[in-house]
Amino acid sequence: MSKILTAENLGFLLQGAGLSLLLAFGALTIGMVIGVIMASARLSKVKIFNWLGAIYVELFRGTPMLLQIFFFYLGVPVLIRMVTGVRIRMDVTMVALIALSLNSGAYQTELIRSGIQGVEKGQWEACETLGISYWTMMLKVILPQAFKRIIPPMVSEFITLIKDSSLASCIAVGELMYNTQVLGARYYNYLYPLIIAAVIYLCMTLVISWFARRLERRLAVSD
Amino acid sequence: MIKAEHISKHFSGLHALNDASLEVNKGEVVCLIGPSGSGKSTFLRCIHGLETPDGGLVYLEGEALNPKNKESFRRLRNRMGFVFQHFNLFPNMTVLDNCTLAQISVLQKTPEEAEKTAMLYLGKVGLLDKKDSYPNQLSGGQKQRVAIARALCMNPDIMLFDEPTSALDPEMIKEVLEVMQDLAAQGMTMIVVTHEMGFARKVADRVVFLEAGRVIEEADSETFFSNPKTDRAREFLGKVFYN
Repeated sequence: MSKILTAENLGFLLQGAGLSLLLAFGALTIGMVIGVIMASARLSKVKIFNWLGAIYVELFRGTPMLLQIFFFYLGVPVLIRMVTGVRIRMDVTMVALIALSLNSGAYQTELIRSGIQGVEKGQWEACETLGISYWTMMLKVILPQAFKRIIPPMVSEFITLIKDSSLASCIAVGELMYNTQVLGARYYNYLYPLIIAAVIYLCMTLVISWFARRLERRLAVSD
Repeated sequence: MIKAEHISKHFSGLHALNDASLEVNKGEVVCLIGPSGSGKSTFLRCIHGLETPDGGLVYLEGEALNPKNKESFRRLRNRMGFVFQHFNLFPNMTVLDNCTLAQISVLQKTPEEAEKTAMLYLGKVGLLDKKDSYPNQLSGGQKQRVAIARALCMNPDIMLFDEPTSALDPEMIKEVLEVMQDLAAQGMTMIVVTHEMGFARKVADRVVFLEAGRVIEEADSETFFSNPKTDRAREFLGKVFYN
């Protein structure tokens, strides 16, 4: 235990945790942008947008995230070579971020859609009678109310992302899970690295839960 | 000024409006009254274009409201203000922001200009001191007055009210009606769907009585209330007034 639990090794794990957090936060943010666009598409009056939104959601929600990560890492370069003839090497961290974002975007599309549909019809009509354009209405009136309703499931989504970012270890992204395995292999002992990693994951998720509860209470002012 | 001709509207099997017509002149106040489900609100919503009529046309100073012609549809509708039964203020914004959002984004005013206009109308409805409050901090009557100010900020030529006092506590009704009466006194053209017979009698120039989607009777308000022509209107008034 004492051999493994050095400041250097702990730092190594925390460095991985930093990347995990960064991946999760990046995917949450990019996924949110995708989610807003795709939710608008799903709610659009234009049939083809509905279809595009639905296909995207079903595709990324209905296949394993690990498959998606491998697809972007191993499949897409082949596809690009077949089409353009150019050989490319993808940065693993970037691949993980893309896969996580697209995956999370699918879940967030459904979340945001339910949030938008929960906003009273009268809010849309008020905007209509004031002549407010679609995107101004969405950004200033509908989405702020929609997001407020979906804070709890959005926090769950963030926590899920922190845990799911561990799948990026499969393509050697140096996040917390990967670094844990590296330590385990180096000392022929996985027990302590795994316990420490678990504690670090828990710390991250608990802090987020706590922060979310505070945010929710603060936003309750306008209820 | 505004004319609705032969408006019909169906809602899945229900004939909500059946060949209803109405003409309102500039500066005139017209009240739409009738039993619940008679189509008053639907009529008002068709006039504004919140509902698209199945038949008939609405004209604003001779120009037809046509949703297919987006430019003219938008321009014509922007000349009408609409006040809802349930206020529909934006709960995520302060009273002031409620009043400036559309001015800035639709009329392209600067925030300073928009704020000046908002303060003017908030003053007129007596709520200057509430400008930094959120809607949930206001009473029903105050909310409705803000909603009226918000609509007036867009400088409409005609104001449409859809049962503006029906969702209010009894003690809040008067403050809203007084604001509307002031507005009428200043020469605003108004169409008001209401169950407030006292208001209709006192403020309206003309009353339109609807039942089952049809305009049954139309008269200047004094004649209508003192001497209704149709049996149905007489029966309605007999049941509404408690003597």
